[in-house]
Amino acid sequence: MTRRAVVMNVILAVLLALSFGCSAVSKTPSVPPKHPEELPTGRADCLECHKDVSSGALKPYASFRHSRVFVDSHGVYARQGQNLCSACHAPAFCQTCHAAKGELKPNTLLGDRPDRMAPHRGDYLVTHRIDGRLDPGSCFRCHGNRNDIKCRQCHK
Amino acid sequence: MGPTTAGAPLRKRLTVTFVAASLLLPALFAVSSPAADLSLSSRSYFLYYERELAGGNKEQFAPLYEYLSADAANLAGTSFSFHFYGWGRVDLSDASGSGKESGDLGSAYLEYLHPQGNAQMKLGRFFFSEGAAVETLDGGFVKMTTPLGIGFSAFGGVPVEHSILDNTKGGDSLYGGRLFFARTGRVEIGASYLKEAGPFQGKDRELYGGDLWLRVAAPVELTGQAAYNRSTREMASQRYAARILPGARVDISAGYESYSYKSLFQTTLNPAFFPPSIDNDDKVQVIFGVVDWEIVPGWTIEVAGKNIRHDKSNPGNANRGEIGVRHAYNEKKDAAGISGAVVTADREENEYSEIRGFATYSPGKFRLSLDALNQQYKRPINGKKNASQIVVSAGYRFFPSFLLSGDFQWTQSPTFSSDYAGLVRATLDLATGMGGKKK
Repeated sequence: MTRRAVVMNVILAVLLALSFGCSAVSKTPSVPPKHPEELPTGRADCLECHKDVSSGALKPYASFRHSRVFVDSHGVYARQGQNLCSACHAPAFCQTCHAAKGELKPNTLLGDRPDRMAPHRGDYLVTHRIDGRLDPGSCFRCHGNRNDIKCRQCHK
Repeated sequence: MGPTTAGAPLRKRLTVTFVAASLLLPALFAVSSPAADLSLSSRSYFLYYERELAGGNKEQFAPLYEYLSADAANLAGTSFSFHFYGWGRVDLSDASGSGKESGDLGSAYLEYLHPQGNAQMKLGRFFFSEGAAVETLDGGFVKMTTPLGIGFSAFGGVPVEHSILDNTKGGDSLYGGRLFFARTGRVEIGASYLKEAGPFQGKDRELYGGDLWLRVAAPVELTGQAAYNRSTREMASQRYAARILPGARVDISAGYESYSYKSLFQTTLNPAFFPPSIDNDDKVQVIFGVVDWEIVPGWTIEVAGKNIRHDKSNPGNANRGEIGVRHAYNEKKDAAGISGAVVTADREENEYSEIRGFATYSPGKFRLSLDALNQQYKRPINGKKNASQIVVSAGYRFFPSFLLSGDFQWTQSPTFSSDYAGLVRATLDLATGMGGKKK
């Protein structure tokens, strides 16, 4: 084992020990790793079952209602802790759109789910020129360093 | 596979080590724990379409895609779990991408979730979002919160990045962390740091981030994120928003966002974000607002608008406005909606409008859906001023765990005069254990 690998393993072990230590004295229950009941189909509305109080997720359930506002800004909540998302969404759910490298558009992957807000509908090859000119930051988040080889046909 | 940025031997060794470790560790658990909760999801897609090339030659494409994901929770009766996601493509006719085969390992990692304090750890290849970092990493991640509400997270490893350019490699290592304070239901404020060593326009990527969630009053939340790029010595991006939830059925958000091309795109591996494709001196400011209002049960109005302002006259400023109505029915199993959007801009080539309608219908074991989109461009593109697409899908659930469906897609646009595509989709979901999952 190389010296660098040994150092990395030691660091990981220390972090794990800290994790156990800090959490062992906490009285706050963790967000359950799996939602305890089967969820209905359709867009989730936490308030149908939960009263609007805070949980181990720290934020009120109303914050997580899957409205258009929430879908547009879900990254804000995910950046402060993905464990609540993963209580209901399998990790693969996120990677439908956030895959490191993909070829099929989310819209094609979910062609049978037009009710989902999958991006890039239609022949987005044409429209992306306009959207990309006006707000390239919105493209960069997914395509800056995680690219599709098909981009090379035009972007050389 | 397309070219990747994995260049250094060390990077490759680390990648193999982490992936192998994450694959072998759950195997050890599985031997001692036949009672783990397992779920397996397979999505198989077979597409068929033709394309007419510039010289008049026609190419036929028949790619077969397999998307596979697996989750094993409660390993050995502990709080450890394992997650896997990957896809592969084989072309049965002409090459639809770079070569006739492609694929990617999206994630393969071991996770530990402590039953108290929301502490967690990940080891392997995983996607994560934490403060200034939104990354896919071959490495480790740990996060914990003390009983006082002060917590921290740390991450490190090799970034999983892909360039579309040959001989362009990405970062060699990435590490960082976040220090935060959280008070349940009131506030969460964090400061983060990220460093990625790599040849990004001659400099490493180094970000200082700040984030805030504050519940000012019961129905009012404030959120903010900012990232400072140390390499360019200026703010890379900022986003601040107020969200108001005056009742159980109304959700309103408005805010401000800005970013600098030079600082946000400094570390990109995609030449679309390099000069001369863009003017690196440009900066963007966006004011946005979104309203989601369920006026009566099952009927929701969605209204959104944003004003985009550039420092440079090209591409100039623009406004986007959209409105839609959505109806949920059949015990929320189905939905239908219609929406329209208009983009007005300083420059004619940036203006377009679109209208979209969709509907689903699920009688018994059948599922049918229709999605239609039309776009009108102010200035013709390749001699055309409009684009349309219709997607029709029909499926039948043979077993609770198996759905077979097919899509037919018709598209006409400035790119293709007429484009037909067919898709057959086989979806298999197998699971043990209880609990809801939104796949």
